[in-house]
Amino acid sequence: MLATTLYEDGDHRWIMFGRDPHKTEGIIDTNQYLVQSGNQAILLDPGGIELFAPMLSAVLKFVRADQITHLFASHQDPDIISSLGLWDQALPNARLYSPWLWEGFIRHFGMEKIEYCAIPDEGMSISLGRIQLQFIPAHYLHSSGNFHVYDPKANILMSGDVGAALEDTDAPLWVDNMSTHIPKMKKFHQRWMPSNEAKIDWIRRVRQLDIDIMAPQHGRLFRPPFIGEFLNWFEDLPVGIAIR
Amino acid sequence: MATPIFVTAASIAAELHQAMLEAKGLALTAKNARALAVRAGSKTVGFKAITHFIDELASDIIRQSQYINEVSEGLSQQAVSLWRASMAAEKFDWIAQQHEHNLASLQSAMQQSRQQKEQLSQTLSRGLRELEQQLEEGDKHIRTANLIATSSKVEAASAGDFRNQLEVIAHNITDTADKIRAHLSRARNLLSQRQSFA
Ligand SMILES: [Fe+2]
Ligand SMILES: [Fe+2]
Repeated sequence: MLATTLYEDGDHRWIMFGRDPHKTEGIIDTNQYLVQSGNQAILLDPGGIELFAPMLSAVLKFVRADQITHLFASHQDPDIISSLGLWDQALPNARLYSPWLWEGFIRHFGMEKIEYCAIPDEGMSISLGRIQLQFIPAHYLHSSGNFHVYDPKANILMSGDVGAALEDTDAPLWVDNMSTHIPKMKKFHQRWMPSNEAKIDWIRRVRQLDIDIMAPQHGRLFRPPFIGEFLNWFEDLPVGIAIR
Repeated sequence: MATPIFVTAASIAAELHQAMLEAKGLALTAKNARALAVRAGSKTVGFKAITHFIDELASDIIRQSQYINEVSEGLSQQAVSLWRASMAAEKFDWIAQQHEHNLASLQSAMQQSRQQKEQLSQTLSRGLRELEQQLEEGDKHIRTANLIATSSKVEAASAGDFRNQLEVIAHNITDTADKIRAHLSRARNLLSQRQSFA
């Protein structure tokens, strides 16, 4: 599992895990994120059950287990949180922040000790160490109960499946050319995202945020000017088209 | 390859459920036999007495099957918990082989999963022994059923006009006893296979 530090300011950092060279054949490559501030850390979309051991091993190189006080699952998909039953054994005192809509479903992954903190539809803020993190509504992008994470100090938006691309595990970390990157995103967004209305609403809200890094759960990450270019492209892309 | 114990236990529960259904059929047979014996009067006094034993036997088998069924379903559930604890322990061991970094912070989780694994293995072993005993008990019931079937045939022979009908009933008893025996022996076979506790 490769780890890349995306942002560091004192004890406030963002680390991305992914591009696992030992990943089992046939499962989609995912990006996991660790946000740390002081003695607290949160894992964003900690990943599938297959990834648990390499993830925990990689994470321990940065923080102690007892410093991982929070988990976040943007939605209910298995590539997001099917590892929950094992995190439950590793981090019995942690809290999981996840859409209220999915509580009864996510618990099926096995959760006896971790506390489920339901995020209301309108989103919420939490404090982590000395910083604040915002859970921003991203319903229907693609899941009907779905949130992204915004860090207003680091100016990073973890955008879940929005901006995701299907690529080889050895692909570069950053988008460097939109015209070559678009073909890797197009089908994914058209098929998985069901609602043009939800998409437009999300773009309107995200344009008001200060974003230096947009970090999706699959594929490369975006920096300006590619963030703006992505939003323009996404705005014009008809989604939810599988029935046509 | 060893079968995961939660699969074995669930399969045993399913066999015992089938055995219980057969025993319910046996209780019905006893009821019919009694009705017939009453109608047949003095010639079937012996048969009538036997129906009482069949009835008792059927409710014994039903009670026992339900109990074994419960025990094995409980075992299956515990075995799933054990599998989860073992899986976590296995992953933690793998991590410990990778590097030492911050490993101490994982100690209590590691210890807990090992402890849980230990406890559950013990509970499971006890449960399996209990199952074994119960299944042996079940074999005794089968032997009784066979005795009853033999006496039924003897009694049927002296029942005059009712001979044919009583023979059918005696045959029914043998048949059901065979089916129950088959379920019990499948359950014992499952139990004697090599179990993997995780
Ligand atoms: Fe998803
Ligand atoms: Fe995903």
